[in-house]
Amino acid sequence: MRRRFLLALIGCTLIAAGVISAGAQTKMPQMKYRERTLPNGMRVLSVVDKSSPTVAINVWYHVGSKDDPDQRSGFAHLFEHIMFKSTRNMKAEMMDRLTEDVGGNNNAFTADDVTVYYEIVPSNYLETLLWAEADRLSGLTVDEADFHSERAVVEEEFRQSILAPPYGKFFYVMEQKSFASHPYKRPGIGSIEDLEASTLENVRKFHETYYRPDNATLLVVGDFDPKQFDAWVDKYFGPIQKPNLPLPRVDVKEPERTGEKRFTEYGGNVPLPGVGITYLIPAEKSDDAPALTMADIILSQGRSSRLYQSLVYQQQLAQMANANADLREDLGIFQLTAIVAAGKKPEEAEAALLAEIKKLQDAPVTAAELEKAKNQIITSQLRQRETNNGKANALGQAAVLLGDPNRVNTDLDKLQAVTAADVQRVAKKYFTDKNRYVFIYLPASQRPASGANNTPQSGNRGSSPTAREGSKLFKGAYAK
Amino acid sequence: MKGTMTMKLKTLTLLPIAILSCAVSVFAQAPQATPPPPAAPRTVQFPRPVEKTLPNGLRVVVVQRSEMPLVSAQLLIKSGGEVDPADLSGVADMTGALLTRGTTTRSATQIAEAIEALGGSINSGAGWDSSVVSVGVMSSRVGPAMEIFADVVRNPAFKDEEIDRLRKQYLNNLKVSLGNPSAVARFAAARIVYRDAPYGHPISGTPESLPRIKRDDIAKLHGTFYRPDNAILVIGGDISPENGFAIAQKYFGDWQKPATDLPKIAMTTPASEPGNRRVLVIDMPEAGQAAVFAARTGINRGSTDYFRGIVSNSILNGYSGRLNWEIRVKRGLSYGAGSQLDTRRWAGSFIATAQTKNQSGAEVASLTLAEISKLASGDVPDSELTTRKASLNGGFARGLETTGGLVGQVSSLAIYGVSFDQINQFVASVQAVKAEDVKNFAASHLNVDGTSVIVVGDAKQFLPALQKQFPQVEVIKVSELDLNSATLRRVVSKN
Repeated sequence: MRRRFLLALIGCTLIAAGVISAGAQTKMPQMKYRERTLPNGMRVLSVVDKSSPTVAINVWYHVGSKDDPDQRSGFAHLFEHIMFKSTRNMKAEMMDRLTEDVGGNNNAFTADDVTVYYEIVPSNYLETLLWAEADRLSGLTVDEADFHSERAVVEEEFRQSILAPPYGKFFYVMEQKSFASHPYKRPGIGSIEDLEASTLENVRKFHETYYRPDNATLLVVGDFDPKQFDAWVDKYFGPIQKPNLPLPRVDVKEPERTGEKRFTEYGGNVPLPGVGITYLIPAEKSDDAPALTMADIILSQGRSSRLYQSLVYQQQLAQMANANADLREDLGIFQLTAIVAAGKKPEEAEAALLAEIKKLQDAPVTAAELEKAKNQIITSQLRQRETNNGKANALGQAAVLLGDPNRVNTDLDKLQAVTAADVQRVAKKYFTDKNRYVFIYLPASQRPASGANNTPQSGNRGSSPTAREGSKLFKGAYAK
Repeated sequence: MKGTMTMKLKTLTLLPIAILSCAVSVFAQAPQATPPPPAAPRTVQFPRPVEKTLPNGLRVVVVQRSEMPLVSAQLLIKSGGEVDPADLSGVADMTGALLTRGTTTRSATQIAEAIEALGGSINSGAGWDSSVVSVGVMSSRVGPAMEIFADVVRNPAFKDEEIDRLRKQYLNNLKVSLGNPSAVARFAAARIVYRDAPYGHPISGTPESLPRIKRDDIAKLHGTFYRPDNAILVIGGDISPENGFAIAQKYFGDWQKPATDLPKIAMTTPASEPGNRRVLVIDMPEAGQAAVFAARTGINRGSTDYFRGIVSNSILNGYSGRLNWEIRVKRGLSYGAGSQLDTRRWAGSFIATAQTKNQSGAEVASLTLAEISKLASGDVPDSELTTRKASLNGGFARGLETTGGLVGQVSSLAIYGVSFDQINQFVASVQAVKAEDVKNFAASHLNVDGTSVIVVGDAKQFLPALQKQFPQVEVIKVSELDLNSATLRRVVSKN
């Protein structure tokens, strides 16, 4: 858990996509992908890479936590777990037999906008896994006993990510209260009550609605023969029919914020106070996204970053300080967080965070900072693409969330084209006083005596605390 | 392939035919009902490290793999937290961390700025048995990165200002860790297994030891252990051996070896026996979940039992390992349960871990011990042994996929003086382990009666049930926890 927490705070936004060069002498290898769409609407993307005798298989379903049914927060993630139970031709946990038992592995994660299943196996098992993925897309046959036991696992996951770590609830509440209308306000891990209320009928309906070939993208990267692969895809995925049902899409418009709001939250077991600030930012596809990503990196990546230098190093106000351009399909939040050092006050940390925002607005970032951020991006994209699964993930993000697989080969250029003026412009545009929500997290022992209401906007504490912390496989996603 | 479809015996009872199933389907025609078999496998060869030793005693290892333009390097000192004086827990880790916090010619900020400007990162600190400075960078930037890397290794300033700053950071980090039930359980498990032996303290110090650490202690540790004949340089990724050796010569060739001998360190890890077993509850009334640990002495890295040990551990550990199967998959009691055989220069530990809701703390403790116990009392079926070995081998191979993973594996072998041949012999060594080896290993090294139990959480919710199983259970309030002492209990009247 601790590792996760550190990742959540230190980790910088992973920009998936990537590609040609830019930074001085290093060239980002182009990803040469093949693309086809089956008659039933399923999109298939593949990249041959024979450097190791393994293959990574991803299936991306364009359904995420924002599509949780009413009163069923956490359902898309619970459903993802259920996909490892029995299917038409597989017993529960058979996916593990086909992967782990032959030296591979598997997992899945549920993010706000997508649910992704993946396997990494010795390449001679590719056909076997295509069969298995097609089988669970075709139908689930989970029974009550397995449903209940897996739901209990997800409830333990809730406790492990939200209740046990000292700041789990802090991040949960920050996300919950940062959105007024959009379903992003329902944390992806859900709540115990909503999980308990879910039924097998919800499972059936959710599969029928969203798990369909025209809502799926298959990505395969590694050691295979393209012709053979195409034939297997036709054989196993081809016969799955596209249902004659509408595919619902979230179209809720999040209203603009109209003034600063402040929230004070209390939790048990809070060793040091926490401070968080969020601003609404546009969608991942927006033209402003690259500049916001640059702002994130300049503020928080590495010990030379502005937040570390100011809050942690020079003023020694914070145990850690972080920024995160949490870009999503519909709209996102730019988050600044700090855990306040012993003996310091939350107000001091908040003022220091706001001073850094003001600095970003008042003067352009330096050429050296911009160059540094660009080099950091190239390095992190190279690292991501060291593995077949990392490549599949980058390609999936471009295809499904950015709407064009080729953005895996062009987005790096967009990031490299960001100027100091762009960063200053987006800082002025989005980091405004009226677009700011501020969160203070304190130990329950500091809660004022009854009468004083310090939490104007916060209901729902206690039994259903909530936050978004989860594994950082993929911004705030929850894994199997 | 044979392993592919084999369901373990114990799992068969768990798979009820789906009578109440909620079938959902969308096919045009009946799909194939059984999975197609695999094709013929391809074999794997991992990169082979090459090495030489410089006249000053520095061992240099280069492992080339050029698919991605990335290089990772580690400078390892073969001494880590185990050399901390008993009252100065954390001094080796602070010494390691301070290397990147200022040299005689560069400030902490200048070091971070210089490396990060190249798109790279640099980190330093101590682990058990080694201290390390590691750098990762694009291969086109290796030259400038290595200059900074060598400077931090060879010319640290240890300024008082940086020592004080780092000490405060460590104290803050400890506060956060002590709010997390699993982190508390891990600290306690080390004290229970190693007691007052050098592996027993928290690597980054305790709230009491950190304020005692002075610049002289840091300089003394650095002077004693940071020397070329106690160091290994590992460089890997997109770099040729010739270039790697040239870099080593350029930046470390004139690093002088002191005339004094390296101090010889010897220690023993206490044996875990029924007579010294503890069942300990650390009461954290506000914990949102309980951390359940079982812990005991393990084996050292050089042990001839190494492969028997890691195969035995793999029966218990992993998604389909017995612990996760029984605790998570079968009963829904945890998000994940597993175990680690932590092998070190001297005997390390075996630790099984899970987090569960407070009410289930006692049940998970008893399930954990039952699975450890079964390993010694019955043969592992061949089908299970085959699949767990496949999982272990696959995990090893995946760990070598990245430049950082490859360099990490080579570094780990180098620190313990294990032949690099073990990389390409790993699979064969695992395959050679038989069911009776697992049983024997478990009987001699994983005896459950000597295995201690630690449960950290809201004690009132699990203590009564735990007391029924273990009448000897001790309870310590988290506010009374003393990580400096093998008893773990703060004695108020001590001073």
